[in-house]
Amino acid sequence: MPKVYFYPDNRGVEVEEGENIIRAAMLAGVHINASCGGTGTCGKCRVVVDKGETIKHATAKLTPEQVEQGYVLACTTQVKSDIEVRIPVETQMGDSRAALEREHRPVSRGSVLTSKDLSELFGDFDLEPATHRYYIEIAPPTLEDNLSDLERLKRELTRTHKVGEFTVDLDCLRRMAVRLREADWKVTATIMEGADGECPRLIRLDSGDRAQTHYGLAVDIGTTSVYVELIDLNTRESLGRVSEYNAQVSSGEDIISRIVYSLKNDGLERLQSLVVQTINGLIDRLLDKTGVQRDDIVYMVAAGNTTMVHLFYGINSRYIREEPYIPTVNFTPTVKASNLGIKIADGARIYCIPGRASYVGGDITSGLLASGVYKTDKLTLYIDVGTNGEMALGNAEWLLSCACSAGPAFEGGSVKHGMRAVKGAIETVRISTETLEPMILTIGQTKPKGVCGSGLIDTLAELFLTGIIDERGKFKLELGHPRIREGGGQGEYVLVWADESATKEDIVITEADIDNLIRTKGAIYAGITTLLDSMQMPVEAIERVLIAGGFGRYLELDQAITIGLLPEFTAEQVMYVGNGSLMGAHLVLLSQSARRSAKDIAQRMTYLELSTHPGFMDNYVSALFLPHTDIGAFPLVAQRVKERSGIYGSRDVR
Amino acid sequence: MAIQAPTEAYTGKIRELVLGSDTQVAVGGENTLPFYGFEGNIPNGPKIAMEVFDTEPVGWADELQAVIGDVWGDPVAWAKKCESEFGADMICLQLAGTDPNGANRSPEEAVATVKAVVDAVKIPVIIYGSGNADKDSEVLKAVAEATQGKNVVIGPAVEDNYKSVAAAAMGFNAKVAGETPIDVNMAKQLNILMSNLGVPVESILVDPSTGALGYGLEYCFSVNERIKLAALTQNDNMLQSPTISNLGKEVWKAKEAKITQEEAPQWGDQKKRGIIWETLTAISVMMAGADLLIMRHPESVKLIKQTIAELTT
Repeated sequence: MPKVYFYPDNRGVEVEEGENIIRAAMLAGVHINASCGGTGTCGKCRVVVDKGETIKHATAKLTPEQVEQGYVLACTTQVKSDIEVRIPVETQMGDSRAALEREHRPVSRGSVLTSKDLSELFGDFDLEPATHRYYIEIAPPTLEDNLSDLERLKRELTRTHKVGEFTVDLDCLRRMAVRLREADWKVTATIMEGADGECPRLIRLDSGDRAQTHYGLAVDIGTTSVYVELIDLNTRESLGRVSEYNAQVSSGEDIISRIVYSLKNDGLERLQSLVVQTINGLIDRLLDKTGVQRDDIVYMVAAGNTTMVHLFYGINSRYIREEPYIPTVNFTPTVKASNLGIKIADGARIYCIPGRASYVGGDITSGLLASGVYKTDKLTLYIDVGTNGEMALGNAEWLLSCACSAGPAFEGGSVKHGMRAVKGAIETVRISTETLEPMILTIGQTKPKGVCGSGLIDTLAELFLTGIIDERGKFKLELGHPRIREGGGQGEYVLVWADESATKEDIVITEADIDNLIRTKGAIYAGITTLLDSMQMPVEAIERVLIAGGFGRYLELDQAITIGLLPEFTAEQVMYVGNGSLMGAHLVLLSQSARRSAKDIAQRMTYLELSTHPGFMDNYVSALFLPHTDIGAFPLVAQRVKERSGIYGSRDVR
Repeated sequence: MAIQAPTEAYTGKIRELVLGSDTQVAVGGENTLPFYGFEGNIPNGPKIAMEVFDTEPVGWADELQAVIGDVWGDPVAWAKKCESEFGADMICLQLAGTDPNGANRSPEEAVATVKAVVDAVKIPVIIYGSGNADKDSEVLKAVAEATQGKNVVIGPAVEDNYKSVAAAAMGFNAKVAGETPIDVNMAKQLNILMSNLGVPVESILVDPSTGALGYGLEYCFSVNERIKLAALTQNDNMLQSPTISNLGKEVWKAKEAKITQEEAPQWGDQKKRGIIWETLTAISVMMAGADLLIMRHPESVKLIKQTIAELTT
């Protein structure tokens, strides 16, 4: 990997070829003023490349003389070889040597959570899908060989494919006589293996040889987003993955408001049809993209939280919301796709991964399955940082789970300028200790529209470390900085001025936003400590941490620790697993033993109800502080605060 | 064979704060649980500050009027009576009259009352605002300035005004009482915030709020006790401030302390009832570890002083 060396800071960092200079600067802990999110429009991130090769893009923000002198914009210039970058004083916005020396805040590369080595997490399941497609050529009946159509089919399947006893769908039986004869007795039988003691079942009969076109869908039904992945069940190859907002979002952002909506007239039917529409739309996109025939998709495995599964099945979810919080079902039966309105092959089946309780659903079972938590020796903490904040602690011997209703703040909800991790979302933020000016990067390096989860975590961490907010998240307006101001009766910090934002209004983070973020992180931290307390274990007992959820790509462990979202884990302990729920569905689709394991996980996992847990509220209130009321648990953060806080404005005094 | 009663040694100790100037009174300083003289050192024991209001009280119980009605229109006389007749360790001057929703007295008027009281007594004075966060920060700043050198306690500093109240205490060398709503963590958080502003921990008292007997006292007891346990057993520096229990005003607004005998004959003698209510509340918070009790009725004060004496000998 090419090395990028910055001076006068005298700091180097290795980056992927093609990485832009500004991200390299962030990784090296070098401050470059950047306010447009990396689009190349503000022209503030001028640097000089003294040595080495880069890929430059033409810009009107530099004069021909500057270009001649080697000036480039850090955000639009990509690293091609080892380079040396000089940062002019005006780009650092510091005016003294001392200032430059204080700016170093390297982010260790290891602390960026990646999904590398996920294959390592995938275990060693027997890859054996629950459906099989068998091509057979059947001898037509005669007066002598007068077996019935079905017995004739069975005889041939047993003879050529060793298929044992099976039952048959009524629909399939009704069409069988005509289908066999029209196909000239050359047909493909699709048989679904029985689970949970059921008999295998013939679900489809197609003309001709379709044994090689055998597909399934893995689906993650999230409260906010739905993911669908198309998988070739013969080759196990993934043919594509698409995602879309869950259309139910229009009827409420969180599960409680969905449940409330479902209790209105036709509410349940409407929510059921909305999520089905979302999934069908995604299926259409996959079919278009891949050319796969709808009739060849014979199996779908879905994972979602308990409420999402209830709504998808059209089951009354009222009692999930009311104490003592009882769902209708945790282990949902396999059903026909057509019963739910999912447009795949006639006769295709849908299975949902079982959940444990009303607020620890199949999405968690699925994530635990995919990440192998249930069979590891290492004590593992698995956290899904979504709206419900579900988590589980355990290993091969035991599993303890809980849900801490974190709220949607890390998904961009209930934050004034919050948004999902899509193009235009600010995902990385640094604030200069010296000038309190921000350095921001957006996804896709387009004009900033808002801030996604990782950007919000970054912002909160930076505001705290630079001393712009206190431990309770209140702004120190007395700092008298133009970006720190009062708006609508509360303090706020301007991340992006209107003239540089895509929305043409200032992008700010307000005290109310910070309050929501602190509550969210506090709930998750309190969930972790309550799980540990219940097992009478210290945080040091946790050997491995797996984080699932969609913050954006650059969640940094250091920043998550700074705000007290996570205890002071080391980078080696933590791994970001991405969409664990979808991964588990994928596994179950491909493996019957994975399906049995999922059931086993849901059955043996212990559920801790936090709403009645005496210690949770206490842990929660103590976590409503930055980083935490017990600073003794955060020695590294305390050190960081000491190094960075209170620098701004103190220059004259010194 | 003689039985050796087991004792425990604690790693932490409550800070000792010396209040007042003419007659100084120390609070805190213990390194064991309340009245556990057999296993640790309790140099001061619980102290009692008697309430004095800046404005004449309205609607107070008859038995209060009987004993302090003669002075309650005059804060100076009231304070002196508490000092000389009732044996108060301190005075707690409640500036209820500054409440913008009440008499809305100005900071200058408040200062005049405070100065008169502080000059009239030798024992230490605690000055509490009306509880209106904005007004209190204004009033307490003026009060701290006017009482400089008298080593008073100002309060309550709350989440919404701690910056200005703490700054006033710091600037004019007063002690400050931080009040939080019945929660160990919040008490600690306010202490951290104030000490981060530069207030020395040696100047901070913690008021974790209390309710009267029958009004959530059990919960308040637990919170107060947990603060002491964290201070002593976990050596938690940010919880080692002496604790104040502002119980008088809670007790005397309770129905049980106020209602007449005609209205509730089954509740017995009204004269004794309020006093017993205050005494029992005070004993409870004392057992939970409170170092400084703010009380109203001289009879209750007398009973508590007796109790303390009996428990410490």
